[in-house]
This record gives sequence, C-alpha cells and structure tokens, in this order.
Amino acid sequence: MKDRRISYFRQKGDAYIMGTSLGLVLSLLMVAFILGVILVKGLGFFWPSDLLYLQLKDGKHYLGEVTDREESVRFSESGEPLHIQEVQLKIGNRDLYGLDFVWIDLSDVVEQTYPAHAITIERLEYGNFYGFPQKVRWGERQWEVHHPDFPQQLRRLHHQAVANRKQIARLEKQLNRLLEPLSHVERAISLLEISPEAQTPEGRRKMQQLEEQIRQLETAIREPYTRLTRQLESRYQENRQLVLSLITADKQVKEIPLEKIVRCYFPNQMGFFQKASLYASKLWEFVSADPRESNTEGGIFPAIFGTVLMVLIMSIAVVPFGVLAAIYLCEYARPGPVVRLIRLSINNLAGVPSIVFGIFGLSFFIYMIGGSIDQLFFSSKLPEPTFGTGGILWASLTLALLTLPVVVVATEEGILAVPQANKEAALALGATRWQMIRKIILPNAMPGILTGLILAISRGAGEVAPLMITGVVKLAPSLPLDTTFPFLHLDRKFMHLGFHIYDVGFQSPNVEAAKPMVYTTALLLILLVVVLNLIAIRMRNHLRKKYKMAAF
Amino acid sequence: MVEVKKVDTEVQLQFKVPETDYNSILEGENVVIETLHLNFYYTPEVHALKAITIKIPEKKVTAFIGPSGCGKSTLLRTFNRMNDLIPGAYLTGKVLIEGQDIYSNNIRLEELRKKVGMVFQKSNPFPMSIWENVAFGPKVNGITDKSLLDEMVESALKQADLWKEVKDRLHQSALDLSGGQQQRLCIARTLANKPDIILMDEPASALDPISTGKIEETIEELKQNYTIVIVTHNMQQAARISDYTAFMMLGELIEYDKTKTIFTNPKVKLTEDYITGRFG
Repeated sequence: MKDRRISYFRQKGDAYIMGTSLGLVLSLLMVAFILGVILVKGLGFFWPSDLLYLQLKDGKHYLGEVTDREESVRFSESGEPLHIQEVQLKIGNRDLYGLDFVWIDLSDVVEQTYPAHAITIERLEYGNFYGFPQKVRWGERQWEVHHPDFPQQLRRLHHQAVANRKQIARLEKQLNRLLEPLSHVERAISLLEISPEAQTPEGRRKMQQLEEQIRQLETAIREPYTRLTRQLESRYQENRQLVLSLITADKQVKEIPLEKIVRCYFPNQMGFFQKASLYASKLWEFVSADPRESNTEGGIFPAIFGTVLMVLIMSIAVVPFGVLAAIYLCEYARPGPVVRLIRLSINNLAGVPSIVFGIFGLSFFIYMIGGSIDQLFFSSKLPEPTFGTGGILWASLTLALLTLPVVVVATEEGILAVPQANKEAALALGATRWQMIRKIILPNAMPGILTGLILAISRGAGEVAPLMITGVVKLAPSLPLDTTFPFLHLDRKFMHLGFHIYDVGFQSPNVEAAKPMVYTTALLLILLVVVLNLIAIRMRNHLRKKYKMAAF
Repeated sequence: MVEVKKVDTEVQLQFKVPETDYNSILEGENVVIETLHLNFYYTPEVHALKAITIKIPEKKVTAFIGPSGCGKSTLLRTFNRMNDLIPGAYLTGKVLIEGQDIYSNNIRLEELRKKVGMVFQKSNPFPMSIWENVAFGPKVNGITDKSLLDEMVESALKQADLWKEVKDRLHQSALDLSGGQQQRLCIARTLANKPDIILMDEPASALDPISTGKIEETIEELKQNYTIVIVTHNMQQAARISDYTAFMMLGELIEYDKTKTIFTNPKVKLTEDYITGRFG
C-alpha cells in the first residue's frame, strides 16, 4: 500500500514541479538581489549626506560624511571581548591629507556634532572639500562668513567665476581655430626641413614661399589674436581674484579659487526637499556631463553616448548581413552536408570567446582594412593613422561579427515558422522566389529578426573585452558625433559604459572614492540595455499584431 | 492480375487496364492539358506516377478520384510545377498545356503559374487584408495601378461569390473570415490572376457541408469560363460537379471517362469496386 502511494507520488511528479518552481524562485531572487544591491549602492551616492564633526581623545579633529559603520569584537590582552564600533568617514581634502577615508573608533570620540556652517565643496580637482568657510573675496572686497550678505555673495561670485571659466574655454577654442592654418604651414615647413628636397634650389624656393605665407598669416590674424588674448587675460585675472577661503576641521587654512568649485552647499542646514532637489541636479549631472578627475567624478555622458551609438552602428551592420545569410540558408541553399557544416560553424561562432573576436577585429578591420584605407585616402596624414587605429566603426563591426550568429539563428527560426502553405500559395500565384521572400517570408519573419536583434543588443551592449582593443578609450577627447563636417566621425575613439565600469572600478587611482560611481554606472548600463530592448520588443509586438497567424 | 507491361524502358505497370479511347470520349472537346507517359519520382525509389497519359478538355470540370496515396494530387501539381519545390523529385515523359511542353527550358515558371492557378486543400490566406490577398497575384505580376487593382479585386470576389459578404471590410485581416469564406477568398485570389486553368486540390475537404455546397456552386459557375481540374475524396462531389472523371490507383491511371459513364457503367472492375465502396 505504502509502496503504491510512493510510486503514485513519483508518477504525479509533485516533487519535480516543486523543484522547477524552486529553481525559478532562486533565479528571480538572484536577479532581484543583484538589482537591489546596485540600486541601493548606486543611487545612494548622490544623496547629500550630513557632515559629522568628531573630536577625539588625542586632540584630533575630523569633519566628513559617514560612509560606513562596522561593529567588531576584539580581545584585550587579558582575553576579555571588547565590542568596538567604528565609523568610516569620508574626510575628502585629498590635497591636504592625501587620504579620502579614515576609520575612527567611536570609543575614542569625545565630541560629535553636526555643525550648521560646515560646507561641502565639490571641486574640479582633488575631489570633495569639507570645512568651514571664512570669507569670500573678490580682489580687495571681501565678505566674512558672519556677514548677512555672505551666502548671497558666495552664490553670485561663484556663478561669475563659472561663467568666466566657460567663456575662457570658448575663447581658447576660438584662439586655436585662429592659429590652425598657421600650424599647418609650420608643419609643412618642418616636413620640408627633414626631407632631402630642402637642399635643392627648388626646395629653398618652396621654403621661402612657405615662410612668406607664414608672414602673411601672422599679419592677417594679428588683430583678432591680440583681441582674443586680451579678453582671455582679463577673464584669467578676474578669476584669480575670486577666492573662497576656508578652514578645515584641524584648523588648516585653505583658499580655493571659485572657478574650481562645481557646487557648494551646507548639508547640515538643508531640509529634505532642498536635499532632494540637489540630488536630482547631481543625478542629472551624472547622466549629462563629462567625466572629471580621471572619470571618478562628474558625469558619464560620453560613455552613454558611445555605447548607444556603437549599438546602433552594430545593429545597422549586423541585421542586413544576418538576415541575408539566413534567407540564403533557408530558401536558396540546397540542403546537404555543406549547409549543415555552415550552420554548425555559425552556431559555433556564437561560442567563440569574445576576446578572440577582438583580436580578429584588430588584425582584420584595423590593420588590414583600416591600414589600406589610410594608404589610399589619408596618405598625407601618415604615419599618423586615421582609420588604421581603433575607432567606433571598427569596434561596432567587430561586435556585429560577434552577434551575427545570434541574428542568423533567430532569423532562420522566424523564416522556418512561416507556414509552408503561405509560401506555396504565393508561388502558385506566379510570384517569383524573391517576391515570395520579400512579401511573405520577410514580413512574417520580422518578429524573429527583431528577436535576434534584441539578443544581439543585449550581448553587444555589455561586451567589453573586444572593445578594449578595437577603439574604446578611458577618456575620449570628443564625441563621435558633432557639428563639424562630416558630423559622424567613424574613425574616432569612444567611451563605453562597460569599459568605464572596469576602468573606474579597477584602474583608477582612488578606487575607494570611485566605488559608488561603479555601481551607478552599472545601473545605467543595465538601464540602457533594458531601454534598447524595450524599444525592440515594442516594435516586435507591433509587427506580431500586424502579421498574426490566426489559423496556426 | 499483376502483369508486366513495358512502357518506356523501365516502367512496369501493376494493373491490366484497357486503352482509353480519348477520341471518342472527348469528341468535340478542345484538349488543354495533356500528359504523355508521365512518370514522377519523389526519390528514385518512390515512383508516384506511372506512365500517365491523360487528356483534359477545355472549360469542363475534370475530377481525379482514388484512394489516398494514389498520386492524384501529385498529378495535379505537375500541371503548375508545384512539385519543383520538392528537393530530389524528378519526372520523365511530357506535360503539355495548350500544346506546349511546360517542362521545357523556355517556359517561364511565373507565367505558367499565372495561367494555371491553384486552390489548396487547406485555405491559406496570407496574413494581410482581404484586399491585399486578392491583389497579391496581379501585384506580383506587375500591376500597380490602384484603380485597376480595385476593379480586379471586385470582379474576382464577385466571381468567387464572396463580394457581398466582404465588400464592407476589404481592409480587415483575411484571417478573421470563416473557414468557408477563407477558401472562397483563396479561389478569388486565384481568379484575380485571370488564369485559364484552375487546379483544385480537395478544396472542400476541410469544410462543413454548407460551405462545401457554396464552393460547389462557385465551381459550377466558374466552369463557363475556366478549365477546372479538381482532386476530391468525395465521390458524390465528383459525381455532382464534374464532367469527366479519372480514377487512379497506386500511381496509375485506371480509368478515364465521362463522369456519367464512370459512375453508372465503369469498364474496369477496380473502378466499380471503388465507386461502390468495396474498398477505399
């Protein structure tokens, strides 16, 4: 009786059903856990936290943000357990202390307060500064911290300094553009000097011509040049005079030029909504601004932009090729050992380690194709490579190759799912094979193609290894898309979120300070992949509705 | 019963049947489709049609009957070369349509299939609107003028007796139609190509009796203008709608005659046994 009950239990398979659901629950939990950790660690980073002032028994003073708390048990010499509470304080002021973080044993603390006039200053260099402001200065005029106008003046002068800084950047760019033709001619001269032609009379005549050209250029730009330099000088001078002087927790005096300040605030005086609006502005800076301080501060906009653009170029490259290959395999190729071999190879291509694709991209795209393009079209710039070095085009093409099998396989499945009856009907109506493919197979296989694209995006957007050798850099001087002709610069190097995470988390000089940045960037990368996928999924659902197969 | 009879060089026929006298059966008719010693092989081992010689008259309904697997659908599909899609299949002998060998190299497959339309067993409308379904054939054959297409769609739907039911929803999905309507849509789609010949492969076998009746009515009307070849399992249907009937078995043509003769006075005993339901 009992035996039969057991065997019935096994037949019904309740245990296996439970096992499968357990598996599902476990994987869901893991996903939720990963997302949770990244969310909490990442998004908490931008919250302006209060500044804690600590005075220790030995007379040391610290001011900073609490970043971590730890309780541990240590044993004294007599063997008694001691409960030790420690806080990790981000004390900033890297230029003064060298270290950003200290661990403090709370039992050493004699006094802890949250002083209202403690200020947090985010700087362009050396990370955050924590301290107490003394006075803000504009040349001879100055406002002490107790002056009622102090906060207002600080804000006004800070704006002024930042505006000056931006103006300086603009003026410098103008100046560079002004000097550009001059530097071209100078380059031509130096090239001529080292060439054997310089000794011939012909060469000397050329040299004279070039020198004459330089003289002409110099006279032509003299007037705007002096105007620009004068403007620049006045801005420089004004910014040298705009200074905030502060005192640190351990009574060191520090003067910070206002132009070096990104933003400053008194966190201990701020209410929830003030903090929330500051949080929003910091978050916005994160997604929209350029990175600072070897990527550990500021925004990651270039990396977002580079990732999206790379995925787009990759999609444009991979979809047509994948679809054409799949059509050929399904519709034209005669089934047999060769087609089986090709199919097997394509499937195996999906399993090749991505770094191998990177090496292939480096040798084939960059050295062979890029090198040839340089020889043919950009020989005047050689030995400086144009396409013969890593760039967004080559990285995208390498990833396109990497994701090609995914697209081919998904498209093939989509094509095979088109009912034979529909294909026959089209042919029986006098359609050619190509018309049948275009009007019946392709529209109906579109959801399959988009599935392939979704998988390709997911894989491509997160890939780092092949990109590192085909065009991703730590810091790209300019975006691959801008307002100068030809607008899309496919030869440029670019930044990428995945590489950014690796670089900030493991290659930056200040790993501890960069940790939150790693989480936020990871969060953004996930978000980006999700958004790109959602777009493709929406397109697919739309098409599915259009070409629903009611009878099947 | 089994007898060896030489046709071509290698074909051996199983059944001993008398020669069909086409001249007397088809007296006064105009022959459109003609096969000469047609052998069809799915693979060298699977010999599906054996030395078929048959003549099909113009603007009449010719029915192919026979037990499952006798090759009647295969024969039908040789007329518009749908069998070309099967990898590895081949045939010997000739198929002439209007005197032209359709398996010769100078035949354009698309032209042939435009001239010889086909309706399949299972209705297979495209997942598009009704209008687009019917206009598909003319469109792929190069007609782009919208008003001309509109005209063709309307006339095809009218001929297939579907116009009244769908004229208000031409731009809705064809898949929302009922089974019988879908099959008539497929007929309309074929008619829109203005074919000379319509091949029908068990067009009503998946339909209920009422829809079947409608399809049969449609066929009745169509035979004024078209040559129709229909494969059917349903002997009553063959008797009702066809003028000529061919009985096939195991890839061979057993008997061919006027439908009335076949059903009332078959010459071969095998035919009689099949028609009277002794096997099948």
